[in-house]
Amino acid sequence: MISETLIVEKGVSAGDPWVTVESRNVREALSGLKNDGYTLLVFLTCVDHLVDSSRQWPARYEVLYQLRNLETREQIRLRAFIDGEPPRIESVHDLFGPANWEERETYDMFGIVFNNHPELTRILMPDDWVGYPLRRDYPVGGEPVEFSEEHEMWQTAPEKA
Amino acid sequence: MDTIAQGVTVTKTGETGAFGGELLTINFGPHHPSTHGVLRLIVDLDGEQVRRLKPVIGYLHTGIEKQMEALRWQQGVTVTDRHDYLSPPINNLAYALAVEKLMGVDVPPRANALRVIMSELTRLSSHLVWMGTSGLELGAMSMLMYCFRERDTILDMNEEISGFRMHTSYIRPGGVMADATPRFLEMLDKFCHEMPGHVDEYEALLTNNPIWRSRTIGIGILSPEDAKVLGATGPMLRGSGVAWDLRRSMPYSGYENYDFEIATSDMRDCYGRYLVRIKEMRESVKILRQALDKLPDGPVNVDDRKMLPPPREELETSMEAVIHHFKLFTEGYSVPPGDVYVAVESGRGENGCYIASDGTHKPRRVKFRSASFVNLQVLERMALNHMLADMVAIIGTADTVLGDCDR
Repeated sequence: MISETLIVEKGVSAGDPWVTVESRNVREALSGLKNDGYTLLVFLTCVDHLVDSSRQWPARYEVLYQLRNLETREQIRLRAFIDGEPPRIESVHDLFGPANWEERETYDMFGIVFNNHPELTRILMPDDWVGYPLRRDYPVGGEPVEFSEEHEMWQTAPEKA
Repeated sequence: MDTIAQGVTVTKTGETGAFGGELLTINFGPHHPSTHGVLRLIVDLDGEQVRRLKPVIGYLHTGIEKQMEALRWQQGVTVTDRHDYLSPPINNLAYALAVEKLMGVDVPPRANALRVIMSELTRLSSHLVWMGTSGLELGAMSMLMYCFRERDTILDMNEEISGFRMHTSYIRPGGVMADATPRFLEMLDKFCHEMPGHVDEYEALLTNNPIWRSRTIGIGILSPEDAKVLGATGPMLRGSGVAWDLRRSMPYSGYENYDFEIATSDMRDCYGRYLVRIKEMRESVKILRQALDKLPDGPVNVDDRKMLPPPREELETSMEAVIHHFKLFTEGYSVPPGDVYVAVESGRGENGCYIASDGTHKPRRVKFRSASFVNLQVLERMALNHMLADMVAIIGTADTVLGDCDR
């Protein structure tokens, strides 16, 4: 079990138990839970709390680890809050098998840097993509619409080569 | 060692392999017909044996999770249809259950039964597509015709109950889209009656087929320990002999009331995974039969005007109904702040939905835990030291849907 000293806050959200730990203690907490029987990392992801007034958030990025005990079928969600540019947290790819790709995806989508990850590269977006699409301040929207002058330019026939 | 694409480190072409020849690095996909969509594998070959394998994904990334953040709660359902495009109602179900759990809503029993019926029909159609295409890849060409024949019956039923053949959006937060029509129940009854015979037909074509057996037995062995450590779920896990099925282990939508067995196989290879899917199809028909026989009467939606629109006839007589209708379709409803994770069993494994709500009428974050994404990481473990031609069988029985994997 996680030692009480690591726990910053704990609670239950819609029936799902969760604990919050300091981001520097994530590895220690997760290996404690793993030894306690929570052997399956169901998923790992991040929530961007930019301009989120539903409560006071300690930091902008919340990294979540959903763990499951396959014997007792209990689940627990571990949260850690991080800030900074880039936001950094320790990788847990050696503790949980599925974490490798999940961390790459979280890096790809949120720009969270997982220290000591063996291969932290983009996984879903193209390698030369700029920006982190799932951040709340990532611009959403279509391509720039071409008006007037550009439109006329577009209409003129290309010069003969 | 060399880097051929950014971040993709592989053994350099030209290193000496075990047979004294040079290792050869090739691309398998992304447009190879047997990669079930667009999966690219960078494969190091020693002669014809696979020495290293690296899946490269993302070719079908459509930003579904980002889109969900821009859609209101009831609009998001249509997007969930589209990530695992072979099992739309099961994706709907994961999303709907998550939203309902956040709002503390319980749906009526008839809605639950209809949800189970649609889930099982979808599981069948997903397994049928898998079996048809895998048969096609491994030389059993006629499988596709047989499997798509029954799949079409299922799509007809989808059309009857929801109006859509594929992306049904049938299961929604608060219940289902509409009640089952009498014709749908008739079709389902006929289907339950005929389907076991059709599964016998598939078995007659494949189970003792010498080509099918020699291409799948002993190929792509995945030990139960590896499967558990790497987080594999669904037929991948059960094909390795681990009896874990969310419908039984962590029941939802009233699955605890149905009598069915968890299909497992101790063969641990591609053939084992095939046997698991065949057995699951038979069990699905059993569940469908039970659900149909004891389909409860009653409403199919929660009676909550703040969540679901009022019936059409009320709009003409009640001012309150008009206000509710207007509010729902302009602003939508809001969900209390908090976060929740709900997992359901799809044809491929654990299909989960994590939702974080900030109390507004749109989700703060929606994350789909897709079985394909996690199961694909196991591919390397299964494919090492096999022939390149066996890769087709291994990718086939992993049954990844790349739309689900890339989201």
